[in-house]
Amino acid sequence: MTWYLVRRIGQSIAVVIGVMILTFILVHLEPGSTAKAVLGLKATPARIALFDNTYGLNRPLPVQFWLYCDHVLHGNFGVSYTAGQPVSTLIAQRLPRDAVLLGTSTLLALIIGVPMGLYQALHHGTVRDDIVAGTWFTLYSAPDFMEALLLIAVFSVHFHILQPNFPGGITSVGGLFGDLNALVLPVVVLAINSVAGFSQYMRSSAIEELAQDYIRTARAKGVRRRLILTRHLLRNALLPIVTILGLALPDIVAGAVIAEAIFNFPGMGLLFWQSALSHDFPVMLGATLIIGIATVLGNLVADVAYGILDPRIRHAVA
Amino acid sequence: MSRTHRLVTAAVAALALTTLAACGGGNVAKVGGGSSAPTGKPQKGGTVTIAEVGASPNDIFPLLTATNSNGYNADLTLGSWPWLVYSGDGANSVPNPQESLFSSLKWSDGDKVITIVLKPWKWSDGTPITSRDFTFVYNLLKTNYNDWFDYVDGLFPVDVASVATPNASTVVINLTRSYNPQFYEDNVLATIPLLPQHAWDKSSLTGQVGDYDQTASGAKAVWTFLQAQGADMATFATNPLWQVVDGPWKLSQFQSSGYYSWVPNTNYSGPDKPILSKVIWTPFTTDTAEMDTLRSNTTLDIAGVPLNDVRQIPALEAEGYSVAQVPNPGVAEILPNLYNPTAGPLLRLLYIRQAMEYLINRPQIVSKVFAGYADPGNGPVPVLYGKQFDSPLEKAGGPYPYSPAKAIALLKAHGWKVVPGGTDTCVRPGAAASDCGVGIKAGQPLTFQLLFGSGTASFDQQNAAFQSTEALGGVHITLKSEPFDTLVSTTGTCNAQSHPAAICDDWQLEQYGYNTYLMDPSGAGSFNTDANGNYGGYSSPEMDKLINATEYGSSTAAFFAYEDYAARQLPLLWLPNASFVFVYKKNLAGVTPLNPFSGLLNPEVWYYTTSGS
Repeated sequence: MTWYLVRRIGQSIAVVIGVMILTFILVHLEPGSTAKAVLGLKATPARIALFDNTYGLNRPLPVQFWLYCDHVLHGNFGVSYTAGQPVSTLIAQRLPRDAVLLGTSTLLALIIGVPMGLYQALHHGTVRDDIVAGTWFTLYSAPDFMEALLLIAVFSVHFHILQPNFPGGITSVGGLFGDLNALVLPVVVLAINSVAGFSQYMRSSAIEELAQDYIRTARAKGVRRRLILTRHLLRNALLPIVTILGLALPDIVAGAVIAEAIFNFPGMGLLFWQSALSHDFPVMLGATLIIGIATVLGNLVADVAYGILDPRIRHAVA
Repeated sequence: MSRTHRLVTAAVAALALTTLAACGGGNVAKVGGGSSAPTGKPQKGGTVTIAEVGASPNDIFPLLTATNSNGYNADLTLGSWPWLVYSGDGANSVPNPQESLFSSLKWSDGDKVITIVLKPWKWSDGTPITSRDFTFVYNLLKTNYNDWFDYVDGLFPVDVASVATPNASTVVINLTRSYNPQFYEDNVLATIPLLPQHAWDKSSLTGQVGDYDQTASGAKAVWTFLQAQGADMATFATNPLWQVVDGPWKLSQFQSSGYYSWVPNTNYSGPDKPILSKVIWTPFTTDTAEMDTLRSNTTLDIAGVPLNDVRQIPALEAEGYSVAQVPNPGVAEILPNLYNPTAGPLLRLLYIRQAMEYLINRPQIVSKVFAGYADPGNGPVPVLYGKQFDSPLEKAGGPYPYSPAKAIALLKAHGWKVVPGGTDTCVRPGAAASDCGVGIKAGQPLTFQLLFGSGTASFDQQNAAFQSTEALGGVHITLKSEPFDTLVSTTGTCNAQSHPAAICDDWQLEQYGYNTYLMDPSGAGSFNTDANGNYGGYSSPEMDKLINATEYGSSTAAFFAYEDYAARQLPLLWLPNASFVFVYKKNLAGVTPLNPFSGLLNPEVWYYTTSGS
């Protein structure tokens, strides 16, 4: 297991370095003048030169990459061209709140999706299976923004029950929980899109497991149905869910951009989107790297968890 | 010499109205007005919450560094450190003598010397505002102007030969050349604040205040210190430096999200002492989020309405809001690239530009795209504000009102086979007056690509309308959109000097929004040869002469001469320019008439007529 862990961590570091190099190259392939994008159409050549000099944009690309690596190693990712703040500060303000939003919505999606998938597997091929699958796929197919606006129209505009968005003054994680009413709609919207995925993975996995010999044996031995489901089926059927949880992170962050824009929730997704539009390279690189690291970590944790849950995995690679 | 219009940018930011509607309704008052004007005895106190879309102020020192282009900082600082010359009197584009910091401002010596007498006002800590505060600003800028965002080549402080302070309330500025006083007051002195020398002239937080600004090294050190303090967002509301103000408001709370609040400066010396007890600026990530909040019966007291959402105005009125609009101090246009290898030879011909302008149905764009909330775009000066700047020609609709017949006649008279709905071709090449013109070959099609910023519904609609009506005269337009920042970053200036340059190949016509004006809607910086904002390479000695007359001459007739010449010459194709529409709580008085030059918002004159929130 140790060797497996070391090897996986080594691979993860290599992937992160690859992400750094690739994103740096891609970002610098973007056409146009960064200084002009930030300073505006009427920026004078002198001001553009000052900007380039201030942020090292007039240096050769390898030197810029070295400076970027230096910033990353020092943990500050450089200074945002538009916000004038260290990128690490901008990310530190948003990441914990994103973690709360995405964590809560993912948890909600799991709480709904896993039992739902299990239910469908147990009623595989029946009308009940079709109704549940049809419902979640319909919600999954609907665009995030449409669901968000519909929920706002109903619960905020019409009934005045829920807040349509976060008050601008909330900047801390504690503040989010202090205003739970505002957290409901974004969490629900983000969860809706994940439930369909989780439930269908769970359904397929459970159907597969239900056909396994150990389930048949357990049934033949007269083990109670509830025990078969919780002790045998659930543990094995959850394995694919663990994997897709790690892989789903980029999708969840992408979905969060919409939620952040509509629900006035300034998080990582919106930060990344706005930085991409305004040529704010340090923020783009910082946000990409953080999302990349989170994805790699998610996969690493999933792999390790998989190894723990299924001894055949770690024995096979040892 | 274009001045960065931070103030107006902030106004746009404050009431972000970038998306516009194809249709709409609602009882919206016109220029500077409101749909209802609450009357009654002002009620002392109350809190007003203002929505700001995308707001992210990041610096509180009023003289921003050259690399900080964040227009929202003006919203943050303007209430605390107003300009020496206060821009806008109600909705009028004139200096406001009551709110300005000077009691008299006289020009002499052939308009080379300005004598300013300051009002006997005080800083918030009780110290009198004196001429030393002006020299403090001047000394800081004299040494650091290259690092000052609002510096414009050749203008203040470089154009100052010397500054004298004969007494504590008088400043005498000797300029290196004569200026048109109106231009200088409107566009230069109206961008300079006074700063408290007695509190800020130091180079460390714990250091003693001195006269450090009087040496170049000292001014550099003070500038560096103040810039560093001004960028420290964590201390905006607590740093004692920023508590010394001369405006009506003081910052009381600030969060990095862009949320902040003002409380009254109880020692404010000006005529309009705040009646409200608090003003809160709350940020929104998008105007969708802002509109949802408005519709949800929450505590927003004043907010912009995207023109896409004007259909919701009746619903907002039912929620207890009044509606108002204010014209945008700027000019919208399509920029022709006179040095594009393909389109340049065509666009350099005045008659082609004239025919294209005749084919723009501006009244239809105003009514259908902007729901009636727009300046008609008759020429370089918007006619909905600044009446003193509107020439009779512009007031009458400009030189090229919509007329496909005139456009077709013009093209035919210059040797084009006109194919309405198709593409015109040159059938009479040559340089004679009745030929197509220099550089135009036989059979050459009259076709252009229009590049514009994506993501704004009104631009999509406006440009589709432009494409459609140009086709009536056989001018074939193809449309291409890109993200706005990409558009800005890739647009290179193309002129006789830069030509041929690869970057000039990339665009033929461009529509990126509008140019903002300060109070004096001067063409300097946009239409004079080699001006920084003259990206399309327009050049005319006559235009240069007329613009110089508005900037350096003293004749009041000079402005109309420039304006009419520019309107006729079409250095840009004129388009309608959308106004700002916003809503405010019905029991909030004093919001209108709106001042387009002060960020639109002057909460010091607002008050609740019934129970405030």
